Amino acid sequence: MNANTSALGIVFPNSYDALVPDLVNVRLMASIPFASRYRLIDFILSSMSRCDIDNISVMVNNNYHSLMDHLGSGREWDLVRKNGGLHIFPPFVEKSAKPYTGRVGALANILDFLRDEKEKYVVITDTNIVANIDFNDMIKFHIESGADVTIAYNEQELPESLVKNQSNDLGYYYTFGLEKGRIRKIYVNAKDTGIQNFSMNMFVVEREMLIDLINTAFVRGQEYFERDVLLPQLNKLNVQAYKYEGYIARICDMKSYFDENMKLLDDYNLDALFSGGPVYTKIRDDNPTRYIEGAKIQNAMVADGCVIEGEVENSILFRGVRVAKGAKVKNCILMQDSVVEAGANAEYLVMDKNVTITAGKDIKGAPTYPVYIGKHKTV
Amino acid sequence: MAKEMIAMLLAGGQGSRLYALTEKLAKPAVPFGGKYRIIDFPLSNCVNSGIDTVGILTQYQPLVLNEYIGNGQPWDLDRLYGGVHVLPPYQKASGSDWYKGTANAIYQNISFIERYDPQYVIILSGDQICKQDYSDFLKFHKEKNAEFSVAVMEVPWEEAPRFGLMVADKDDRITEFQEKPKNPKSNLASMGIYIFNWDILKKYLEEDEADPKSENDFGNNIIPNLLRDNRRMYAYHFNGYWKDVGTIASLWEANMEILDPEHSGINLFDEDWKIYSRNSGMTGHKISAGAVVENAMITDGCRIKGTVKHSILFAGVKVEKGAVVEDAVVMGGTVIKSGATVKHCIVAENVTIGENAVVGAMPTESENGVATVGAGVCIGDNVKIGPDAMVRNDVEGGEE
Repeated sequence: MNANTSALGIVFPNSYDALVPDLVNVRLMASIPFASRYRLIDFILSSMSRCDIDNISVMVNNNYHSLMDHLGSGREWDLVRKNGGLHIFPPFVEKSAKPYTGRVGALANILDFLRDEKEKYVVITDTNIVANIDFNDMIKFHIESGADVTIAYNEQELPESLVKNQSNDLGYYYTFGLEKGRIRKIYVNAKDTGIQNFSMNMFVVEREMLIDLINTAFVRGQEYFERDVLLPQLNKLNVQAYKYEGYIARICDMKSYFDENMKLLDDYNLDALFSGGPVYTKIRDDNPTRYIEGAKIQNAMVADGCVIEGEVENSILFRGVRVAKGAKVKNCILMQDSVVEAGANAEYLVMDKNVTITAGKDIKGAPTYPVYIGKHKTV
Repeated sequence: MAKEMIAMLLAGGQGSRLYALTEKLAKPAVPFGGKYRIIDFPLSNCVNSGIDTVGILTQYQPLVLNEYIGNGQPWDLDRLYGGVHVLPPYQKASGSDWYKGTANAIYQNISFIERYDPQYVIILSGDQICKQDYSDFLKFHKEKNAEFSVAVMEVPWEEAPRFGLMVADKDDRITEFQEKPKNPKSNLASMGIYIFNWDILKKYLEEDEADPKSENDFGNNIIPNLLRDNRRMYAYHFNGYWKDVGTIASLWEANMEILDPEHSGINLFDEDWKIYSRNSGMTGHKISAGAVVENAMITDGCRIKGTVKHSILFAGVKVEKGAVVEDAVVMGGTVIKSGATVKHCIVAENVTIGENAVVGAMPTESENGVATVGAGVCIGDNVKIGPDAMVRNDVEGGEE
């Protein structure tokens, strides 16, 4: 990769926290566990790492202890670099300290940093999308199309939870009206049914241009990059749409979180998501999972460090889960170190970290409404 | 800045009795227990015992081992001062030598040890499965005011003639050493783990090197010389799990014992004494509908569609529909195709076992061998590999 195409990454780990209030109670979107051993941010960081984007800034806003713990020095993603590497930018604490609202304020906060960097391009992304993205291809598209700004999108229906919500308090999402690949219309919080050009909120823009855009917008008191900066200037700026056609899992609510995990029980989906290369995550040094005599297991994805004595069906088990003798786990997501004690019955549950279902209990959710049990709770 | 104790880990052994498994890698690099390599045990023991400086003496097929150790980060041994160092034989201003024996390997690295100015040096062996607290061993060494201590295990008297034995008095002071004797006077077997006072070790290494008749070996030369001079030598009793995995049968057995921690005493589920390893980075393993998994250890990246009973599967093993794996150790990346049967055997890394092929068999009275398939081998469809076989090269369909 030559200097001309090199890019730095900026990640917004708190975006869309409001969509999954239960899961972000003690964390943020980026550190939500996913696919038996990962956190959502692992997919973005691994995609970037694979594309030689090794100067990554994470714009944390609130509830970020779990993320700091997860990221550490960034070593697992090969982000311990003398030049670049991993930067974590919390809101700058001064007398008038307040959390970032939109991307404009957050980026304005790091303008000095951006001015000092060398990379020509900037890749900006959230973490609520699980995908294996070739950012180099996106940058190539950006250069070839002569765009000022390129935004990734995919074609899909809008999730029901977004369409049904009548207020704007869950944040903003965007759909595009396209003309030969150029974005001519940006719709904010559209309620349309049918297939839409649904923004993935991933941007490629030249660093110098980003600095100019943010400078101007911040002075004017604008907050949201798409709504306040791009939307009014669609005639002036060449904003191109980059169509992503690979595997994608969007976390929009508890239901989609549950469904997107479960989809990975299908080998076709699992291969599609992980075909691009390894996805890195924090190492826990668990031993392999042990299946004890009498365990019955069907259609499950299981991480290391589990001990299974009971029955498990159609479920995702994270690291260090225990399913005791005679316990039955069906259609569940069991996060790290959760325990289902002897003879207990668990169905359609999302059990957060360290949850214990005590012996003999019978807890059930429904396919349309998986029941969530909060971190460290004992039932 | 001096270190109290540093470790020197002997990892140069060829492990010739592991045959096909050690053709391209040194014995300490042989995979073990689902996600480890043998060397993870002594390295993790060091870190868990507070030793942060380890020299690894390599000689035979060091490539895999070197790459695996890397900067030592998985074991927390990437340190500013100390950490893990791989020490192969090297060329000197006047001539160069391979490591002639265990003592010579340490002798050639005296300058490495002196950089840390240690009071004590612990000599470890890279071919044993053992969870041991070396700090407790050191405490014993200091309490006895010893100059040399050796970790010993009590073995059954009938097996004693297979070992190097320490004869000790009531105070654990060693009075005699017997190497594989016909008439054992003791059942305290040396585990090949020694703590020396560095000044004593250095003196005896230099003396030994000057003796042209010496084999430059700890057991045959250094220990007898210490005894001759009536040095303060003590036997430290260890009674945890310990296994020399020098043969196919013992390697297979040690793996199987992990499946029964309640009886065998090797518990890998020990949060207080973790064994660290370099991670595969693969996604969680997947067990499909219709698969049968009983009494098994399975790790990241495995895809199980067939039957797995009483077996250890390493990262990324695929067991296709209708395949049966029983009493087997299957190493990373191996694919077992549909209808194949893999029993009572060790299958090395990246092997392909063809459809309806048969590898190994459950033991009978007349045949109880552990079949072994070397790394990267392709076993053709319908091929049958007998229970005592040692397969190093591809086997096409129709051959046997």
